[in-house]
Amino acid sequence: MPSSLSNLRALGAAIILLFAFAYPAAAQLSFRPTAEAVQEDQLLNALQRGDKITGRITIPDTRASSLIQPAGRDWRDFQRSRLPIIGGVAIIGMVALLAIFLMVRGRIRVDHGFSGAKILRFAGFERFIHWLTASCFIVLALSGLNISFGRILILPLFGPEVFATMSVYAKFAHNYLAFPFMLGLVIMFLIWIKDNIPGKLDLEWIKQGGGILSAGKHPPAKRFNAGQKGIFWIVIIGGALMSVSGWFLIFPYLAATVTVLQFWTVIHAVIAMLFIAAMLAHIYIGSIGMEGAFDAMGTGEVDLNWAKEHHSLWVEEEQAKAHGPSDSTPRAVPAE
Amino acid sequence: MARVKFLCDADRCIECNACVTACKNEHEVPWGINRRRVVTINDGKPGERSVSMACMHCTDAPCAAVCPVSCFYTTADGVVLHSKDLCIGCGYCFYACPFGAPQYPKVGNFGSRGKMDKCTYCAGGPEADSTPAEYAKYGANRLAEGKLPICAEMCSTKSLLAGDGAIIAQIYKERVMKRGYGSGMWGWTTAYSDSPTG
Amino acid sequence: MKVFVAAVAFAVVAAVGVAMVLNSIQEPSSVAFTTSGARVSDPGHNLIGSG
Repeated sequence: MPSSLSNLRALGAAIILLFAFAYPAAAQLSFRPTAEAVQEDQLLNALQRGDKITGRITIPDTRASSLIQPAGRDWRDFQRSRLPIIGGVAIIGMVALLAIFLMVRGRIRVDHGFSGAKILRFAGFERFIHWLTASCFIVLALSGLNISFGRILILPLFGPEVFATMSVYAKFAHNYLAFPFMLGLVIMFLIWIKDNIPGKLDLEWIKQGGGILSAGKHPPAKRFNAGQKGIFWIVIIGGALMSVSGWFLIFPYLAATVTVLQFWTVIHAVIAMLFIAAMLAHIYIGSIGMEGAFDAMGTGEVDLNWAKEHHSLWVEEEQAKAHGPSDSTPRAVPAE
Repeated sequence: MARVKFLCDADRCIECNACVTACKNEHEVPWGINRRRVVTINDGKPGERSVSMACMHCTDAPCAAVCPVSCFYTTADGVVLHSKDLCIGCGYCFYACPFGAPQYPKVGNFGSRGKMDKCTYCAGGPEADSTPAEYAKYGANRLAEGKLPICAEMCSTKSLLAGDGAIIAQIYKERVMKRGYGSGMWGWTTAYSDSPTG
Repeated sequence: MKVFVAAVAFAVVAAVGVAMVLNSIQEPSSVAFTTSGARVSDPGHNLIGSG
């Protein structure tokens, strides 16, 4: 027969022989693909808290490699169930506490009445930094509360379109005013840290309740009493935590995964609620809570009798600096 | 009324990305936005499986729950949609979504991530059905024309199923019985906890 | 009062400045998530508007 046909037959025989030998070998493969397939329920059960099922993707955005992240469900429960309780208790609780205090104790008066003489308490720059930080804080707090509670409290009043427009601008204000707020925090820390170091005098002040609960009691204090030092450290530490957590939220690409972002939103939200509650107390005592207190940040000059009652040691230091100890009225010091 | 769902049969998925390409083409999805993606688990190892993942249109949608401006809504068919007019681009829906469905046109600045975009089950958005305005904002509305999502229609191996949840669950169960194995209805217990089997 | 107004004005100016800086460094996702091998001329504007 022709050589090509015989070659073909030889080839055919070789192939058949190859299959005959290979088939039993194939049945002895070391793995069985279907039996070793990943099972969804196995993977989900094996996940640690906060972990994700991930795989390989062809998309450059690495966040897309997460297939299922169950931690989102826990985060949702926190945001919509636990956080409103924390915020409600902290803020409404503080408002209630302050209302009760005002009713029971009343406005804290200057026992000896206003003297009419003034002493410089805060220089212009200090007031500038305080108002910079404070005004930013008000807008930040309100816009932040809008994100957490706006949907429940404000949306029903204004309808979706108006509320959404308002929320867009609130969000822009929140993001961009955070930067002057952080600047104010840093400068506040630098200019006031030396007067806010806790000391033995503060312990004494606290033991006497700051004299806050009964008229006529005025434990001595230097430039800042223990309550004010507490506010200082709450602002610095709380503000620092808000800044760090907020930094990750405004630049989300800094966080490797969505799990890290979820953590920072929890910090940001919880600290915010407590921070706002503390600031409500600070605003209360600096405005309606105590007569003569607002002048410190308003004009910078406070009444001398007020200063002698609430910051007696500070008055003595200031008067010793300005002139001889015999003179009781301070020399006028320019505000700027 | 039918409650529509997605089901990706990971044992049939060959990672061809036809679903991704079809979605991108049908809605003219811009570069950088990925409504649908294919994730491969145990890549290169025995038991490798690929899953096509997009918005699962969950029953108790976590995205809708956490949205600060409540811009989400669920249609009568169970499709979870949102309004880009109300969206403030805050990113909360992405934090809550178990499947990473929300996409944003800008990165790097929480101030303006841009309006969130995601798989719409080819059902458009709040604008009037099948209008150019709806197409420019949300893409094609196939459901209004009585058609199923294009990703499932284009799947080369019919691994990605879309349609009435009960029907596609039944199809999958028949497959598992006939071939003897199945890696699970990926995402169903997370998304459809009320009736994970259809 | 003067100091308060000055502080608020400073905050607003600072916020506007920060907004301008941040918006200039922000990238669209078509740029941020493109590897060096891809050459994207027009990333498309459907669904996301012209912004």
